[in-house]
Amino acid sequence: MTTELKISEISANFAEGEQGKWGMAIDMDICTGCQACVAACAMENNVPFVGEADSGYGRSMHWIRTERFWEGEFPEIKMTPYQPVLCQQCGHAPCEPVCPAFATVHSQAEALNLQVYNRCVGTRYCANNCPYQVRSFNWRDYERPEPLPNQLNPDVTVRRRGVMEKCTFCIQRIHRAEDVAKSEGREVADGEFAPACAQACPADAIVFGRIDDPESAVSKMARGARGFHLLEELGTLPAVTYLKGG
Amino acid sequence: MTEHFSRRDFLKLASVGAATSAILTGCGPASRYVTREPYIQMPEYTYNGQSTHYATTCRECAAGCGLVVRTMQGRALKVEGNKNHPVNLGKTCVRGQATLHGLYNPDRVQEPAKQSKRGSRDYSNLDWDAAIGVVAEALKNTKPSEMAFLMGMAPDHLFDLVSDLAKAIGAPAPIRFGARGMFEARATLSKATEVLFGQAAMPFFDMSKADLTFSFGANFLETWISPVAFTRGFANMRRGGGHGRGTLVHFESRMSQTASKADMWIPIKPGTEGLVALAIGRIAAEARGGVMPAAFADVGVEAAAKASGVHAEKLDELGKLFASAGAALAIPGGAALGHSNGLETAEAVLALNALVGGLGRAGGMYLTPLAPMQAEYHRPANLKEMAAFVEKLKGGEVKTLFIHGVNPVFELPKSLGFENALKSVPTVISFATFPDETAVQADYVFPDHHSLESWGYQRVAAGSAQSALSGAQPTVSPYYNTRATADVFLAAAALAGGKAAEALSFKDEVEFIQSKIVALVGESDGFFSAPEINTFTAYFQQYGGWWKTVDELSTPSGDALGKAIQVAEAKFAGEGEFYFHPFVSPVLAEAGANKPWLQEVPDPTTTVMWSSWVEIHPETAHELGVDNDDIVLITSEAGAVEAVVYKYPAIRPDTIAMPFGQGHTAYGRYAEGRGANPADLFGEQVNGAGDLAFAGMRVKVEKTGKTYPLSRLESRMGVYGEALGEEH
Repeated sequence: MTTELKISEISANFAEGEQGKWGMAIDMDICTGCQACVAACAMENNVPFVGEADSGYGRSMHWIRTERFWEGEFPEIKMTPYQPVLCQQCGHAPCEPVCPAFATVHSQAEALNLQVYNRCVGTRYCANNCPYQVRSFNWRDYERPEPLPNQLNPDVTVRRRGVMEKCTFCIQRIHRAEDVAKSEGREVADGEFAPACAQACPADAIVFGRIDDPESAVSKMARGARGFHLLEELGTLPAVTYLKGG
Repeated sequence: MTEHFSRRDFLKLASVGAATSAILTGCGPASRYVTREPYIQMPEYTYNGQSTHYATTCRECAAGCGLVVRTMQGRALKVEGNKNHPVNLGKTCVRGQATLHGLYNPDRVQEPAKQSKRGSRDYSNLDWDAAIGVVAEALKNTKPSEMAFLMGMAPDHLFDLVSDLAKAIGAPAPIRFGARGMFEARATLSKATEVLFGQAAMPFFDMSKADLTFSFGANFLETWISPVAFTRGFANMRRGGGHGRGTLVHFESRMSQTASKADMWIPIKPGTEGLVALAIGRIAAEARGGVMPAAFADVGVEAAAKASGVHAEKLDELGKLFASAGAALAIPGGAALGHSNGLETAEAVLALNALVGGLGRAGGMYLTPLAPMQAEYHRPANLKEMAAFVEKLKGGEVKTLFIHGVNPVFELPKSLGFENALKSVPTVISFATFPDETAVQADYVFPDHHSLESWGYQRVAAGSAQSALSGAQPTVSPYYNTRATADVFLAAAALAGGKAAEALSFKDEVEFIQSKIVALVGESDGFFSAPEINTFTAYFQQYGGWWKTVDELSTPSGDALGKAIQVAEAKFAGEGEFYFHPFVSPVLAEAGANKPWLQEVPDPTTTVMWSSWVEIHPETAHELGVDNDDIVLITSEAGAVEAVVYKYPAIRPDTIAMPFGQGHTAYGRYAEGRGANPADLFGEQVNGAGDLAFAGMRVKVEKTGKTYPLSRLESRMGVYGEALGEEH
C-alpha cells in the first residue's frame, strides 16, 4: 500500500557554487604578537595540543603562528614586526598538484584550498611542497582527557592520526554566514562574520572579507601602499595580504 | 521541484530557517540555571544545530572584559568578546580564549572534601550539607576577631558579600590580593596619583589619541591592568588616532613583548627609570621655554645619563621629542615600579604628563571613573599589608582562614613564609576551583563553580572611559558537584544564626546580587534602564552588565609640578653580579598554567612552550660557559631556583630575566612540576607605596651541568647562526 506524499514545491533563485573570493589582510604594524588568534583558532577548530615533547620536535598543530626574527646586535637589536602566518589560501597552490589522493583540492566556489580529511592518506607531500610551512600533520591521536572533549566544536571535524590539516579560513563560519544570508534573500554583508582569529584580535590587525568586492574593508586595506604577499616571487597568488610594519 | 534547487540547498535551508540570527539570550530570573542535557532530550530553547549565546564576564584576570559564550546543547564551545562591552569591544586576549580549558579541565576539584592531613592530598568527600555545616560551625564558634577572609581580585560580588558578612559579625574586613596586582604595582599607581593630584585613583591613559607614548616599563600589551583595552589604544595610536602614526618609546632592561612593538627600545639600567623620566622632564621643560617647574628644577641630566647608561645626547633627543609631540603621553608600570624608588619613579613619570599639558587632554592622562555604586577607589593589598597579615597568621591570631580566588602559596614571595604561617591557623577552608598550592595546604576544599558556571558582577576598575559594572551569569550548568561560594556563605550564615544570618538574609546568590544592583534601577544615564529589578536583571544578563552612555573621565587636579621630585638611587638586595628582572608570562599570566592549550601557545618573544626559562644575553652566557637548554642555579638573598637558559639577544648583558607563571607544585597535571617560580627568589623589600620591589634584586648564576631541552616554536637553526656552522 502506498501513500501519496504531498510536498509543496520550493523555488529558489540561487544556484549552488556561486563565486566568492574570500581573503584576509594583516597589519603587521598593529599586530602585537599577543597570540589571541592562536588560542582562538585552536578553540574554534578543535586543534589538538600535542604536549611538551612532541611540540619540541616541531609537531605542534597550530594552524596559525606568529613569527618574529632578530636583526642586529644588542643594543641596536630590533625584532622584526610580528607576522601571523596561516594558510595563504593560494590561488596557485603548490600543495594541490602533489596530492596523490586528491585530498588537497581547490574550491572554485570559495577560491579556497580545501583539505578533505577522509581522502587524506598521509603522504605529507603537500606539507613538503608548501613554502609557508602552514600544514600540520597528526603524528598521533592526541589525547584529550575527559571532560575536555565537551568543548569540541560540532561544526568542525575532529581529525585522527595520519591526516594532514591546516587553516580553512573557518569555512564553517563562511558557510553559516552564506546560508543565513541566502535564507534571508540577501548577500553576506561585509564584516558580518569573521574567522576566529580575526574575531578575537584585540588590535583588529586581522581583517577578513570578500576580496572580489573592491569596497570591502579587506580590499581597501590590501590596496594600501604597505601591502605585500608572503614569498610573492613564487607566484602562488595568496589570498592573504600583509601590511608592512614599522 | 524547480531545477535550481538541490538537495544540499534544501538541507542547508532547513537547518537555518528555524532561527537564523544569533541569539543573545539571558535567561530570566525564573530559570536560574541552564541545563546540560543529552542530545536526545534537549531543552526547549535549543534548536538542532543552533547555538545559544550567553553574555558574561571573563575572570581570567580582574579587568572585567565582557564575553559572549557560544553554547550548544548545554556545552560551552567558544568564548567570544562582547561587542557592546566598553572594556573590550568584542575582543579577547589569549587567556580569555582558553577559559574553556579551565571549565572542562580534567583536574578541577570535583566535590567538597576534607583533607586528612594538610599537603597529603588524601581527601574524603563530604556532601554539601556537611560542608555548609563546617562553614557554619566556623562562623559560629570562631571569635570574629580571629577570623580572616583572603579574597582574590575577582569576583567583586563575592567580595561585597564577604565584606558585608565580616562587617556584620565584627570580623576584620576581607583582604584582597593577586599576583597581577603585585606585579602591576597597583598600590604604587594609586599612591602616586594621590601624592601628585590629591586623589587616589587608577590613572586612565588615552593612548588612542596620543601621538607619542613613553612607556617606562609598563607591559600594557601583555598582562598589565587591562591588556585588551590597552592593545586597542595602541592600535588606534598606530593607525593615527592622534595626528598621524603614533610613536612608542619603551624603557626596560629587557625587550619585552611590549618593548618589541616600540619604535625605540631603550635598554635602561634597572632602577633608573625615574631618573631618566626626570631628565627627560627637564630637557622637555627647557625646550618648551618658560619657567622651569619645581618638579624638574634640581635634576642633573648628566648624572641621570651616567646612572642609566643612556647617553646624554639620547636623553636630549628624547626630551625634545617629548616636548614637541602634539599629544605626548607617559605611562609608568611594570618593573620600573618594582624597585625601592618605585613610588618616586611613578610620580616622575606621571609628572611628565602634567608638564606637556596632558592632564585631561585627548591623548593624555585622566583618572578612571569609579564603577557604578562605588564610593571610593579600592586597591588590592600591597606586599607590606600582606606581610603584616602573614605575621598575624604566624602569631596565632587567626583561628579560621577562608580563602577564595587567590593562590598565595604560589604567588607570594616564598621568603614571606605564607605556607609556614598556615601551620599556626587551626582551620583553613579553601573555596578553590582548581587544586592549587594553597588548596593543598587547606583542611577543607569546598569548590566554587568555574567562572563560566557562575553568577556575579565585576566593577570595571580600568580600561573604560565609561563607568561600568560587568555582569556574569552561568553559561552552562555546573559540570561537577561544586557550589557557588556565595551560596555556601549564605546557607552557613543562616545556620550560624545571629548577626551573620541577619546580614545575609538572602535566598540565594542571585537575590544577593539583585539587592546590590537594585540601586541602578531607574538610573537614566545607563545604556538601558528598567523600572523594576526583575526587568533590570534580565537586561543585565542579556547585555552582560550595565554601563553609562557618556564618558566620565575626570581631569587630575592639583599642582603636580609644584615641588621637587626626588628619585633616590634604587637599592638592590643581594650580592650577585646580575640584576634580576622578573616579568609576568605574557601568555600564562599568574593562573594560566593549568590550561593545556595555553601551555602550547608559544611565548611571543622566545616562542617557548610548556616550560619556563631564564633569559641571558648570548655573550653573558658565553662568559658563564652555558648554552641554550643548560640548567643554571640562580641564587638571590632570599632563595634559589634552577632554570633553563634561553639565550636572549635583546637583554642587557648585566641583567637576567625570568617569567612568572610556571613552577607549580600542584594545580593539576598540566601545571605541576613544570619550570620554575621566580617568587622563590623574592625578598620582602618594598617601595614607598608598600608594593614589592620585585625587580630590586641582584642574583648569582651558576652552571649546574644539567640540561633540559626547551620546547620552542622557532627553528633552532639560524637564530644564532648555528645553521651556518658557526661556533656559538
